[in-house]
Formats: sequence, C-alpha cells, structure tokens
Amino acid sequence: MTIKFIRDHGQHYRPRMACLTKVEAMVLQMQDSKSGVKSSEQKLNITSIPHVVAGQDIITWIVNHMKVDAQEARAIGTMLVAYGFIYPLQDHKKLILKPDGSLYRFQTPYFWPVQKWKADDTDYAIYLAKRNIRKKGTLDVYEQEYYKNLHKWLNHKWDFIVMQAKEQYRAGKERNKADRVVFDCQERAYWIVHRPPPRTHSAMDYGVDRLIDPNAEEDKTFDYYRRIIIFTQQAIMRPKVKSTVSLGAILKHMTTYKDHDPFLAPCLPSNPWQTDDSTYWDLNMRNVEIPTKMRVERWSFSFFELLNDPRGRTDFKVFLKKEFSGENLAFWEAAEEMKWGTASSISEKAETIFKTFLAPGAPRWINIDGRTMGLTVKGLEHPHRYVLDAAQTHIFMLMKKDTFYRYLKSPVYKDIQKKALSPAAHNFTPSQLEQNARNRKPGIHPIITWQQEEEERAKAAAAAGPIDIKKLMASKLDRK
Amino acid sequence: MNRWRRSVGEIQARRRQVSECEQAQSALSKVTACYQQMATCLGSNTDGSSLREELEETRALAHRICTGMHRRLLALLVETEQVQEDREQVERMWVLFLCALENFQQDLRKVSILQETFPLGQRKDRRALVNSGATGGGSEVAGRAATVQTPWVTTEGERRPDLKSHVQEIDRLLQEMLQRVNVPLWSVEPTQNAWAEGCGDTQDEDDTLEEIMEVEVVSQDNRASGCCNHSNCKLGCIFCLLN
Repeated sequence: MTIKFIRDHGQHYRPRMACLTKVEAMVLQMQDSKSGVKSSEQKLNITSIPHVVAGQDIITWIVNHMKVDAQEARAIGTMLVAYGFIYPLQDHKKLILKPDGSLYRFQTPYFWPVQKWKADDTDYAIYLAKRNIRKKGTLDVYEQEYYKNLHKWLNHKWDFIVMQAKEQYRAGKERNKADRVVFDCQERAYWIVHRPPPRTHSAMDYGVDRLIDPNAEEDKTFDYYRRIIIFTQQAIMRPKVKSTVSLGAILKHMTTYKDHDPFLAPCLPSNPWQTDDSTYWDLNMRNVEIPTKMRVERWSFSFFELLNDPRGRTDFKVFLKKEFSGENLAFWEAAEEMKWGTASSISEKAETIFKTFLAPGAPRWINIDGRTMGLTVKGLEHPHRYVLDAAQTHIFMLMKKDTFYRYLKSPVYKDIQKKALSPAAHNFTPSQLEQNARNRKPGIHPIITWQQEEEERAKAAAAAGPIDIKKLMASKLDRK
Repeated sequence: MNRWRRSVGEIQARRRQVSECEQAQSALSKVTACYQQMATCLGSNTDGSSLREELEETRALAHRICTGMHRRLLALLVETEQVQEDREQVERMWVLFLCALENFQQDLRKVSILQETFPLGQRKDRRALVNSGATGGGSEVAGRAATVQTPWVTTEGERRPDLKSHVQEIDRLLQEMLQRVNVPLWSVEPTQNAWAEGCGDTQDEDDTLEEIMEVEVVSQDNRASGCCNHSNCKLGCIFCLLN
C-alpha cells in the first residue's frame, strides 16, 4: 500500500497536457499503411523485428502532412521522441530525432504518457529489480542510486516488489524471442522518459501540481459569473503603458543584461547545475574578497544593482568612507532594517534613527529637504514600519544621482575593476562529470553565513559610532 | 484455563489457512504479471478480440483470488489477538496483499482507458492500431495465467464484475481494509535484502538488451553534446534554444 502524505494545500492534479492528445492523434495517423510512414524490418543476430522507421522518413512525413519546413519538422519529431511516443533503437538515452537513417519504433499505447497518472515509483522499483534479476550488475550509476533510495522508501513493500518482478520476468519469458526484445525496448524507453538519466531533461516535467482538475468543466453558477465580472472590471481599470514604451524598456534591459544571463551566455567557469562543480558559487559568495569581472560590471548598470549586491555595498561603503559622506548610506540601511525587522523593535529603532540622523545637530545628520523632514519627524511620533519611506526614497535618489556616478569614476571602483577575476571556462570530460556528480557536498550552512554577517555588522557598528573627540585627544596626549 | 489452551486441531487449521494465503499471494502475483504482459499488447497491431477475451478471463481469475484472500486474511487478522508467532507473517501478507491490489487496480484503469480509446468494433478501427513491432498476440502468456489455480475450492458464487465496477470495487475494498484492521504499514520488514534478487536461479543465456541490440549500432562520431549541431551547445537535454 502506498503511504500517502497529505501535507499539501489540496494540490492533487497534474496540469493540463493538451499536447498529448494532439500528438496521439498524429501518431495514429502515421500508422496508416497507405498514407503513413513506411516501415522496414530490423535485423538482429537472432531474429528480425518488423515496424522499424528511419528518422528521415518521419521527418519527410511530417513535412508533407503538416506543411512545415524541415527544421520545424525536426523539432516536432524531437517532441514526439521526447514524450515517448517514438523511441530510438540506437543511442537510446538521447531522446532526439536524428534526420538520417537512425532507426526508431512506435511505442505501444500501454506505455504512452498520460496526464492523469504519474509514473509510479513502485513500478520503477519493479522494473529495476527485473533488470537485476535478468543479469546482475547491469544498472547504471544513476539507476543504482534510485534503487538504493527506493529500497529505503518502499521498504515495507519490498517483498511485493521482488515477487512481482520475478513473476513479470517469468511471464515475459513465455513470449517468443522477438516479442521479448520488443517489450524490453518498450519498457526501457518508457523509463528513460519518466526517470531521465542525469544531465538530461524529461519532457514530462511540469512543476507544481494544481489545485483544480484542469479537465473538469467549471459549473457556470452565479459565483462564477460574478468572479468573471469583477476580473474584467479590474482589468479595464488598470493603468496601461504604451507598447512602444514597454518594448523599448525590454530592449534596453536585454541589451544590458545579455551577457549576464546564464541561459544566453555561458556561465564562467561552468554552470554548477550542469557540471556539478560549485566553483561559480564559491567565486560569487556574499563576502568574497575578490569579486568576478561580471559581477563588477553588473554594479555599473544601476545603483539598485550595486546596493543589492552585498559585496558591491561594502565597496561603496569604502568609497563613502574616503569621502566622509557615509551617513546617507547608513540612514538608508537603517531604514531598510526597520522595514524588514521585527514589529517590537520598531519604536526603539525609530528613536535611535531620530537621534542619530534626523535631530538637528545630530552626529550623522542627513540633508533632506524641509518638507520631507517635517513629515518624517511628525510620523516618528507614532512610528510604523514604513514611516521612513519618503526620506529613504529621497536619500536613495540623492545617492543615485550624485554619489553613484562619482563612485563609478573613482579610483576605488577602478581599482576593484582591475583586481577582479575572470575565471577560465571548464572543459570536463564525461568521466570527470561523473566524478563531480559523486563528489557533491553540501555548501556552507546559511546559519553560519548569517552569524558571520552579524559579527561583521557589530564590528562595523562599533567602529562607526560617533567619534568622541575628547577621548581621541586624550589618547593622543597620552602618547606624547 | 481451557480458554487459553488451543487445541492442536485449531493450530493446524490456522497454519493451513496461512499457507493457503501464501499460495494465493503468489498466485495473485502470477496472474497480475500475466495481465500486465497482455495489457501491453492493447492498442498495438497484435490487438484483437481474442486478446480482450483472454484479458477478461484473467481478470475474472484474479477477482476470484482476491475476494477469497480478502475474506481469509480478514478472518485471520481479526480473530486472534493472543497468538503472536504468526501475527508478523500475517501482517506482512496483509500489507503485500494491499500493495498487489493497488498495483492491479492501476493496471485495470489503464486497460479500461485503452479499451475505450481503441475500440475494435468496426473494420476501420484496425487501421488505427499502432505498429509496435510485436508479432505474438500474448496468448502464451494467457496460457500461463490460466494454469494458475486458487488454492481453495471455488464453491463461492461466480459473480464476475465488469471492468469499471471492478476498479471501484477494489477502491472500496482498499478503503475498508485500511479502516478495519489497524496494521501500520511501515512496521513490516521485508524478508529479502536489497540486491538479493540478482543472484538467483537465472539462466545465463539471457543477455542484456544492450548486448542483443549491439549488432545494429552504427558507430556515430562521438560528440560531447548530443543536443544539436551547434558548437556552443553544452546542453545534454532535448529542447535547445540555439539552433
């Protein structure tokens, strides 16, 4: 019996996969003996198996049937293979359609992908046990991993799994040799689609389950119509932007960020999700000494980027310290802390902020215009989370319009640009990739990073406190 | 005093029932495995009315085994609370029976959908069957299934439900079984270790699928990326934006 965990929010339905019914219809049309794809026989050592098609033939059929060009037909054909309606006979782990003479066969409807049901773990366990029974030691590394995990999770069912695997193996042996080969091919292809090997992607991946059954028709009751009416009313009332303006903004964003996108440009040194090598993350940690060139370049895009990156913020602080105008950034950070902090600490934070930044004659007095100052001071009498918002925005714009550009031209920034690293791209062989996959280790625990940051913050706060002139002079006199 | 002492006859009867259930479990396993093999032929070019009839027969046999086993297991679990020695064994059989029922129900659902999608009523329907490469009709497997016998005498009434109501019946059965007897599913320990099934009574003339298919492999140039011909594409996955 499957142990079901019901710790969800009622999401039990898979999303709509309308493509599956359409593809099914197309595959059935391919079967027609007159107008379908022509098939031949596959000759093996022992026997010969009918109904084998070449990749090129499939593509020609799609071109004629759907009136598209060859490249599009190839993409459609690859989709057929990726979903598992057609499976390759050579190179069975790569689910693509090759436009040459490589051989494919149609999958039997029992193994077609279905929207309603997931490919069950129990069935996969039975399949792996069957492979094991047939010949020991033929499972791949990733299959062995699965086997180990399934043995742990389905431990209470393991007897059933082994028994069923043995019986299925014996039942399969009853058929003739050619049919046995065909069935094994079919089953293997099914599981490659639903439990893809590492570094490949399953076409049946869909994200989160849905709350409502997408195939069920909704009853058109009074509530339904009321909802639709409210939705359309709100849609009409929304402020709209001209498409030229929004398209221009998208274009500008794309041209700026084109080289920084991990999908469009290669991630230096290598994308950890693909190669299991975490150098990229180590080089881009929050408090790394020397940042990468891409990161430093990103700071110059906008002030927002600079502030959001913790390393960029520290660099900016160094610059401000040299210029003795650190109070703006300090005020901005204090306002952020109040916004995101606990509700109980709001009143005391408001007091400290007022004393440090806003009171006339305060040690780190910020220069905002009179109206904003008046509003903020009045608001601080009954402080809430967003009372400093107006002042914070003003300071942000001040820093952005003035200090930011000076920073970009300053020797601090130029210095760090020179020091920044540009790592070389990795070039892993498949065996190295396997080794990387085996040597994966967990990263640094977030609690440790948080503790380190708290310590640094405490040190910075102590160092940035108002300098007591008397003590400073006293210490100087002492030394004399 | 007499209440606690069980007669030899009672113990022997119980042992006989337990072994009957074990035999029934393996019989059920056999029948469901054959059912699955035959179900994979549905919708393919080997589909036919004979295949469907054989499926029905196998299903009826499985139904008989299930109902009988359900009744006996329930009796075994509910009656005694004192005897502990075979309680573990009976509980394990209970859990395995639940698993087998669930697995069989999934197959039944698939079969019912497939039979609706590929009706064989008219001549033109035969053209819509998928050419899957198989040649045999699965009748040998049906023969194997037919050799299975229930270990008890089938004097019970022959009430054969049709496919849809069979699925619902199993649903109800599962619900009822989960509620009536309180057996925690995770307390069952398997009798076999992992990988133990590999070393066994397999004939060595069985090659793996890869070895059989090796004859056909045309040597292709070894490219690290299998996705598309673009040199920059390092993705091993199927859908690639660069083309």
